[in-house]
Amino acid sequence: MSLAFIRNLKFITVVCFLFIPVLVLSGQMEDAGVLPDTITKITIASEPDYPPHCFVDKDGNAAGFAVEIFLAAADAAGLEVEIKTGVWSKIKNDLAEGRIDALPFVGRTPEREQLFDFTFSYMSLHGAVFIHRRTKDIKSLDDLKDKEVVVMKGDNAEEFVRRYEVSEKIFTTNTYEEAFKRLANREYDALITQRVTGITLVDELGLRNIYPLEFYLPRFRQDFCFAVKEGNDQLLSRLNEGLSIIIANDRYDEIRLKWFGPVEKEVVSVRDVIRIGMFILLPLIFISAVLLTVILRREIRRRTAKLNKEIEEHKRTTEVLRRQNLFLIEMEKLSKTGSWERLPGLHESKWTSGTYEIYGVSPESFDPSDYEKVMSFYEGKDREILDKAVKKLLQTGDPYSLELKLNSDDGEQKWVATRGMAEMRGGRVSRIFGNIIDITESKHINRQLKELTAALEQKVSERTAELQEKIEKLDKSQKAMLYMVEDLNNVTSDLKKERAKLEASNRELEAFSYSVSHDLRAPLRSINGFSTFLLEDYYDKLDDEGKRLLSVIQKNAKKMDGLINDMLRLSRVARTDLHKADVDMYSLVKGVYNEVATDEEKEEFELIINDLPKAECDPSLIKQVWQNLIGNALKYSAKSDKKRIVIGSDKKNDETEYYVKDHGAGFDPKYVDKLYGVFKRLHREDEFEGTGVGLAIVQRVILRHGGAVSASGKINGGATFAFTLPVE
Amino acid sequence: MENLNEVEILIVEDNVDDAEMALRALKQNKLANKVKVVGDGEEALNFIFAKGKYQARRREAKPRIILLDLKLPKVDGLEVLREIKSNEDTKVIPVIILTSSREETDMIDSYRLGVNSYIVKPVDFEKFVEAIRELGLYWLLLNQQP
Repeated sequence: MSLAFIRNLKFITVVCFLFIPVLVLSGQMEDAGVLPDTITKITIASEPDYPPHCFVDKDGNAAGFAVEIFLAAADAAGLEVEIKTGVWSKIKNDLAEGRIDALPFVGRTPEREQLFDFTFSYMSLHGAVFIHRRTKDIKSLDDLKDKEVVVMKGDNAEEFVRRYEVSEKIFTTNTYEEAFKRLANREYDALITQRVTGITLVDELGLRNIYPLEFYLPRFRQDFCFAVKEGNDQLLSRLNEGLSIIIANDRYDEIRLKWFGPVEKEVVSVRDVIRIGMFILLPLIFISAVLLTVILRREIRRRTAKLNKEIEEHKRTTEVLRRQNLFLIEMEKLSKTGSWERLPGLHESKWTSGTYEIYGVSPESFDPSDYEKVMSFYEGKDREILDKAVKKLLQTGDPYSLELKLNSDDGEQKWVATRGMAEMRGGRVSRIFGNIIDITESKHINRQLKELTAALEQKVSERTAELQEKIEKLDKSQKAMLYMVEDLNNVTSDLKKERAKLEASNRELEAFSYSVSHDLRAPLRSINGFSTFLLEDYYDKLDDEGKRLLSVIQKNAKKMDGLINDMLRLSRVARTDLHKADVDMYSLVKGVYNEVATDEEKEEFELIINDLPKAECDPSLIKQVWQNLIGNALKYSAKSDKKRIVIGSDKKNDETEYYVKDHGAGFDPKYVDKLYGVFKRLHREDEFEGTGVGLAIVQRVILRHGGAVSASGKINGGATFAFTLPVE
Repeated sequence: MENLNEVEILIVEDNVDDAEMALRALKQNKLANKVKVVGDGEEALNFIFAKGKYQARRREAKPRIILLDLKLPKVDGLEVLREIKSNEDTKVIPVIILTSSREETDMIDSYRLGVNSYIVKPVDFEKFVEAIRELGLYWLLLNQQP
């Protein structure tokens, strides 16, 4: 019974504390529920002699269920507690006069409420009916009417049974101990006392046959609370809070279980429920009413604000729509696009401004609902096609997309792309709509594009052909190159053959030279020799003419011998190996001059030899060169007045040029190419003797040394013959 | 010139004209008394070594001097020279090469084989006579038998 109450209490407390923040937030109860945290430490006092609620333990400290509940609640509320002990009458006065802050276990009575403020009750002590186990016929308070009921004399219980006439047969004992013992001996039918006190005693006396009945005695009860001095609201709130917390977090139940053990199942009577309901529901209803008012007022405000917002939103949307419509018009103008819609039966049509624009009509003067009139913008086949498509669309909802010619009202012929589609409702066409685009320009551009593409294709094919041609040419030249390589190979092998041939002919030449020197000369010798014999042996018999003729024969024989000798020299130059050495050109030139020039010539001629650098060459061959050049200079200067020969050199890059300059007969420069040819002569035999081999020998020698020959001169203006030798 | 054992000068020459000129040149130098002319290399060797148709000849009666043409039928002049110079009996005989060739190889080969002198036959007969005279005098004086 007490637990049920506590549970209700717990519920109420939790509900109340849940409401407090709501009330605070709503701003309707600004002062309620403000819990200052200024108090941190309090002093309380406990009785020494009221077990198990308040007593003093073996160590002299305050203990008991109430003390422990107080400490737990204070701890939960963040309070520090100091406990004194004292007898009830003294500590009651201490609180009333403010020497202490609170008492943990005070029964709530109207007299006491004058002095103290109470927290809500955390403990109610209830009366109970105790009977013997064999007594079976007592189930409710009403069953006690004719039963013998025993109570302790002067106890609340006696007042209770007499006040409410619980039974007609009331007996009293001095102590409850005595009353229980007599009940155990079945001298009375029932015993009434406070349940906790009773259970404790039964337990102490070991009366196993005695037990309390479970039903509730509503008028026999006392509520215990914490008490503070009247007006100490702060502490009262904190203690209420602490109590709520320990009830909510089950700390209360733990402590209770520790002191009183598990309680039996309890039964709540209907009246109790109603009573409790009255206690709890009425304030709840009140609070709810207040809350509801507050909430309603707030809801109205909220709705009003929302409505205002929606109106604002609507205005904005309208504005946005207006602007978007402007955009649309602008867009249609730019893209030459229009839209239209038409309700079935061709009764009513709507066009956008773009559509009016394309048809070249104004919305004021033209009614698009007039189907025939709209159709009149199209001609002939186009008109037929469109008419058919629109009618089909209206019947079946089949969409169309067409490109047509349109004669607009402003006299322009336009190309348009028009599309139509249907909105269906319940299997029937409810509305048709579509758009129309002026594609005149894009048609034009398309045509141009086609032309361009064709031109481009033409160009591409031309270029391709050119490229093909080039590839073919390349192919051909590649082939040609291959042939060339082949030819080159052939040439190489030909060259090899030629070389072999050349070697063979060289050998032949050698044999030929040999044979020339022997065999060709023998008859010459005989001609010369025997004409000499003729002259000698028949000198007297020959006249002068005979003698002259013989001398002509001899002269020619000798000349031929000279020619053969020169030819052999020339061929020897070509055939002998080069034996190069460092040659002192100066002394070589000097030696050659002394050898070649006759004593008379040395007398007559002025010889100037300039600086002549050394050369890497074959001495005997180079000697022949100098012999020929100096010999020529002497020979061709023979008939000149100025007899002067200058020999010198010029340094050129990586070669040295040597020259021999005279002031002799010279030569016609146009024949300069013939100078170095074999047997080529620019002068008649009777002018200057010679075979025409000397310069050919010079050229061969110089070429074999990797140099070059040159000549300059003019008729009767002297000549300069030069040759170069590479500087090693 | 029938006594083959008294031959002082042996001319080996296949060209009869050249041989005649040589004889004339020798004659002009008063050296033509004991001259024998043979026409090819084989005959020359037979004569020198008293073989073949010259078997009857005394081998010891060596010519004082041999004028040898290089270009000869049958046995070549250089071969003849080699035979003469490789034989102890004959190698002391002075051999003068008479040739129209100025070819280097000929000269080198001849000297290697031990030729004593070398005359290039000039076209000008006067010069030939002069050369023969100079050579002949010298060698004949030098080889004067005791």
